[in-house]
Amino acid sequence: MKEHHALIDGLKALPAADQRLLKSCLAAALAALLVGVVFGAATALARGGFVELGPLAGYRAMSTHAVSIFFYWLYFAQAGLLLVFATVFTSHQHGVEWRRAAWLGLALMLAGFAASLYGVASGMPLLYDAPPELGRDPSAALGAAYAGYLLLAAGLFCVAAAGIATTVAPLARGEHDRMPVVSFAACAWAGLLIVSAIAAVNAFLPSALWALGLRGAPAEYATGWHILFHNLHYLPLMATVLVWYVLVEALTGVKSIFGARFSKIVFALYLVFVPPTSLYHMFLEPNLAEGVRVAGSLLSLFISVPTVTVFLVIVASLEVHARAHGAKGLFGWIGMLPWRNPAMSAIGFAVVNLALGGALSFVLIQEKLAGLLSDTFFVPGYFHFLTVGTVTLTFIAALLYVLPALTGRPLWRPEVLRWLPHLATAGLTLFGGAGVAAGYLGVPRRVLEVSYDGAAPAVWTALMSVVGAGGALMTAALLVYLYALLRNLMPVGAAAPAAGEPLPEVRWGEVATGAQRAWTGPLAVVILVGLTVAFTMLAFELMRALPVAAGAGPAH
Amino acid sequence: MHSDAVTFAVVFAVWLALAVTYATVPMFAMPGYAVVWGWGSLVFLGLAALTALAVRRAKHRRRHMERPHP
Repeated sequence: MKEHHALIDGLKALPAADQRLLKSCLAAALAALLVGVVFGAATALARGGFVELGPLAGYRAMSTHAVSIFFYWLYFAQAGLLLVFATVFTSHQHGVEWRRAAWLGLALMLAGFAASLYGVASGMPLLYDAPPELGRDPSAALGAAYAGYLLLAAGLFCVAAAGIATTVAPLARGEHDRMPVVSFAACAWAGLLIVSAIAAVNAFLPSALWALGLRGAPAEYATGWHILFHNLHYLPLMATVLVWYVLVEALTGVKSIFGARFSKIVFALYLVFVPPTSLYHMFLEPNLAEGVRVAGSLLSLFISVPTVTVFLVIVASLEVHARAHGAKGLFGWIGMLPWRNPAMSAIGFAVVNLALGGALSFVLIQEKLAGLLSDTFFVPGYFHFLTVGTVTLTFIAALLYVLPALTGRPLWRPEVLRWLPHLATAGLTLFGGAGVAAGYLGVPRRVLEVSYDGAAPAVWTALMSVVGAGGALMTAALLVYLYALLRNLMPVGAAAPAAGEPLPEVRWGEVATGAQRAWTGPLAVVILVGLTVAFTMLAFELMRALPVAAGAGPAH
Repeated sequence: MHSDAVTFAVVFAVWLALAVTYATVPMFAMPGYAVVWGWGSLVFLGLAALTALAVRRAKHRRRHMERPHP
C-alpha cells in the first residue's frame, strides 16, 4: 500500500472551501510568476544585446519583472504555503480559521498586483524599490504604484492573521498540548509577515500620500525601505527552510534527530536575528555613524546563522538515517536520496544555489565592499542565485507536491520536471557567474546598454551576452514548470485519474539510527566559509586591477 | 509557563530591547527602526499572550469536562 505523508493526506482531507482558497492563492502566485518571468526574459535579452528595448520600455520591463517576482510571486506563494502548513499540520479536520479574512487578504493582494502593474505600465517606472525621487512629480500612476504595495501589505496582514488563528485555535480546543513544529514555524512566519506589513506601511504610506498630492515628499524614505527590505530578505528564506523541513520528511520519512523543541528554537532564531542584523543595509548612507558601521559589520556575520542551523539539522538527520540504511562512504548517502522525484531534485539544487548565493552575499555585505559593489551588476548576479536558484526552486518543489494533492490530478511528466533544476541552475551559473564577474569589473546595474558607444571595455558587452544567454535558459526552465503547474490547476483534456504513478520516495524514518557519523553538514559549512573567502579575495584582486576610481551611490 | 509562549516572549524581549536602543541611544538614533521593531515586539507579545491564553482555556475546559457531574 502506498504510504502517504501528513502533507498529502491532510490536503486531501481539507474542506472543499479551504481547497478552493489554497488553489486560488497558488494560482495567483503562478500568474505573478508568469508575468515576472516573461518580463525578466525581455530584460535579460535586452541586456545581452539580443533584443532592443528603448530606455523607457527597458525600465518598464525591468520594473514589471522585479515587482511581479519580488513582491507578488514570492508573497502569493508564501500566503498559500503559510495557510497550507498552518492548517494541514495543525488541524486539517477544522481547516482554515477566519477563512473570510484569508479571502479578503487574497483579494487585497490581487488588487495590489493590479495597481502595481498599472503604476509601472502607465507612469514613470519606479523599479521595485520605488524611490519617490525617481518619480519626480506626484501623479495618479505613482499613487497606484504605492497603493499596490499598501494593498499587498493589508492583504498579507489578513492572510497572516488567518494563519495565526489556524495554528492557535487547536490549542484552545485542547487538540494539542503544544503546537506541532511546522505549526509553530508557520505561526512565527505569520508574525513576521505582520511585522513586514507594518514595515511596508511605514515605508510606503508617506510616499503614497505624496504621490496623491496630500503631503510633501517623504524625507526618510531610504530608512523605511531598508527596514522593509531586510524583512523581505528574511521571509522567503524562512519559508524556504520550512519547505525543506516539510518536504524532506515527505520524501524520506525522516524527522529531525534533534527533537521538536530544538527545531522550534531554530525557527524562532529567525525572529531573534532579524532586527539586529539589519544595519548593514545602511552602509551606503553617508551620514551613518562610524560606531553603527562597526556594529553593523559585526552583526551581519550572524545573518546566516538560522539558515545554516536548519540546514545542519536537516542534513545531519538525513545522513544518520541513510547510514542506518547502509549508506557507505562520505557522500554515498546523498546518492540514495530519491532524485527521480522532481521535488527532491528541486530542493537539492536549491541547497547548492543557496551556498553560492550565500557566499556571494557575504562579499556584498562587507562594509568596505558594499560601497564598491552595490551599484554594479554584482547585485543581480548574486541575488538570482537566491531568488531563482533557492527560493523559487523551493516554492516550486512545494507546489509540485501540494497542487496534485489539492486537484486530484497527477503531475505532468515528472521525468521531465526532474531535469529542470539542472537547466535552471545551468542558466543561473551563466547569468550569475558572468554577472558577478561583470560587477567586479564595474559593469553598472540597472543600465540596459553598457557599451557606452564603444567607450566601455569590450569585456562588459561580452559578459552581458553571457548574462542574456543564461537568462534565456532560466526562462525556459521556469516556463516548463509553469506549464506543468498551471496544467495541473486546470482540467485539461480528459478527466484525470485521482492519482497518477506515485513519485519516487524513500522511507528511512522507521529504523533506529544508533550512533552514526554525520560529517556532510559541517563540511558544507566549511566549504561555505571557503567560498566566501575566495569570492572576497577575487573581488579585491579584480577591483584592484580596474583602471577606474569607484565611489558609493544609492544603497542596494 | 507554556514553552511556545515563552519562545515568543523571548522574541518580544529581544525586539523591544532593540527598539528601545534605536529610540534612545544617540549613536543609533533611527526613529524608523524604533517604530517598526517596536510594533513588531508588540506582535510577538500578542502571539505569546494568545498562545498562553489558548492553552489556559484548553486546561480550563478539560478540568470542567473531567469534573464529576451530579
